[in-house]
Amino acid sequence: MHRVVGPLLAVTVALVLADSAVVTLALPDILLHLDTTVAEVAWVLISFNLVLGLVVVPTAVGLKRVDPRYLGAVGIAGFAAASAWCAVAQSIEVLIAARCLQALGGALVLVGCLELLVSVYGERRGIATWITAGVIGTATGPFAGGLLTQAFSWQSIFYVQVPIAALAVPAALAVRAAMPPQTEPVRHNPAVRPNLTLAFLSAALTAALFLLVLLLVDGWQHSPAAAAITVSVVPVAALAARPLARLLTPTSEVEIGVGCFLIAGGLVGLALLPDAELAWTIAPQALIGLGLGLTLDQLTVQAMHLRVPRVEHASWTIGARHLGVVIGLAILTPVFVGDLQDAQVPAQEAITSLVLDAPITAQEKVALARSLGEELADQQEQVPNLHRAFDQTEFEPGSRAAAAQLERDLSDQVERAVTRAFRDSFLVGAGLALLGLLVVVFPRRRA
Amino acid sequence: MRRLGLPIVAVLLVAAVLGVQLAYGGASYEPLPSADPCAERTVDSQSDGIDGLTERLVLHGVDNAGCILGVSREEFVLDLAQNGQPTDDQVDALREGLLQAVGEMEEDGTMPPASELVDDALDQAELDGWLETLIRAIPDSAVDAALKTDDVLARAIEDLDLRELLSNVDDQDQLNAQVEAAVTQAVKDSLIDRVRNLL
Repeated sequence: MHRVVGPLLAVTVALVLADSAVVTLALPDILLHLDTTVAEVAWVLISFNLVLGLVVVPTAVGLKRVDPRYLGAVGIAGFAAASAWCAVAQSIEVLIAARCLQALGGALVLVGCLELLVSVYGERRGIATWITAGVIGTATGPFAGGLLTQAFSWQSIFYVQVPIAALAVPAALAVRAAMPPQTEPVRHNPAVRPNLTLAFLSAALTAALFLLVLLLVDGWQHSPAAAAITVSVVPVAALAARPLARLLTPTSEVEIGVGCFLIAGGLVGLALLPDAELAWTIAPQALIGLGLGLTLDQLTVQAMHLRVPRVEHASWTIGARHLGVVIGLAILTPVFVGDLQDAQVPAQEAITSLVLDAPITAQEKVALARSLGEELADQQEQVPNLHRAFDQTEFEPGSRAAAAQLERDLSDQVERAVTRAFRDSFLVGAGLALLGLLVVVFPRRRA
Repeated sequence: MRRLGLPIVAVLLVAAVLGVQLAYGGASYEPLPSADPCAERTVDSQSDGIDGLTERLVLHGVDNAGCILGVSREEFVLDLAQNGQPTDDQVDALREGLLQAVGEMEEDGTMPPASELVDDALDQAELDGWLETLIRAIPDSAVDAALKTDDVLARAIEDLDLRELLSNVDDQDQLNAQVEAAVTQAVKDSLIDRVRNLL
């Protein structure tokens, strides 16, 4: 049992932090299944991050005298129960409420497991394991959620968490000689600079992951599995960051600054996609993944370095990250929703232009325009299904090749409009990453 | 070097990614912009005869109407399609645009002579068999001397109730009936005027 205690606790930490973005790829399915609105379904994501961001520091401060074994076990059990509740939710309100409870359990898990991992592995390795598990969870959440949604259902995202978390409850209780609650006479203030940078970067990474999967699934109409495989570039590149840093041996400040720059560069790359092909997103995502791998763990280490109480400072990093995600969503959602609405006009004009000039007969143009008009009216807030409009229009044999080409051209115009609609949001995300860089390079006050 | 190695690599990576994306048109991946409606545009039609002529006339006409109203032809067409009732300005601009289109087609030589349209018109019209045979027997030169296509079209456009025409776009039979009535009247008026001028 002792051998699996550490890994089980680390996996649970990763699960909690993966939950921050794990439902991103499942949002379109949840929207349909629970018959809700875009604004409401966004709260499935926001509620978890908001509650976790708000309660984690008070939890660490208020429960610092509680035995971390009980804290961890109760948190894991609560997290597992809330996950099961999420899976069986039949309305959006219930799902959001369950996500809030999940975040409450998650806060206890993160606070409790830090002390438990330190007990299992010792201070240095325990903290490193806690941080690494968090980075892996954050980076792989959307990927895992997308695959599960495609293979089974959105509910499976929550079902799979239950047995893993359930196993971790005895693991938490089995930790021998858990560290006694800390009662240090000294109490350091939170590290403002790394926590602020973490918040900015989390907001920027929200742009990268949340907006990218929306673009892939809702915009370019790829399956959640295809989108999940595509966004797996981020965690893979994040793994490559550490060997690169070891090779070039930069200082931690340089590493963090470069990480911010790479995330900003990757987001600018996503804003300047030359085509609606998945392959074009790979290089910008690789930059973001490298940046993520260089920054998140270093910033967390910096925020916690030699600061006591340890768990309190660890919780500040979690709070900063998740409130950063909420702020990112709050800033980016109106920008991208507005741009998506604005994109309808140029898309409709481009479609009109191509239909007017298409080498098909006038009667076919009128009939097609009627079908396209109905399709556009039916598909408010969603990318229109042009294929259905073409299916409903009868073309003479001599016009069929031209009609097929026209359908491809119109789809290309829609993809152009949708991709263009995301540009400003990705650029805002890049701006947030650069704000993180500014915080890093801003001259320090001399002691 | 410890400070510069990683930043140099990062700058090179970002520059390479953005450079390739910009080289492949990353900054201009946008929907097709609408063309200037006042600029000359070549229009084509897949149909022959009256259908082809009507399509070319309408395509030129909406461009001209857009130019008059200061909007693109796409904006003008979408506005007509999406807002049930066209405004007086839109109806006036469309009529003026169609009349301008007749003049432009006459000027650039793309307006077919009336004789080229007679067979097509007779196919579409439900005339008595003897009368149809008699009209088909009239030599082309006589038809062209009696009827000028641009004159007939201009009269038909002046006569057409464009507001009703736009509301009939979805109903092919109603549309045909309305246009046929206007063109028949225009042919009669044109012939009467020709006879009057001869006398």
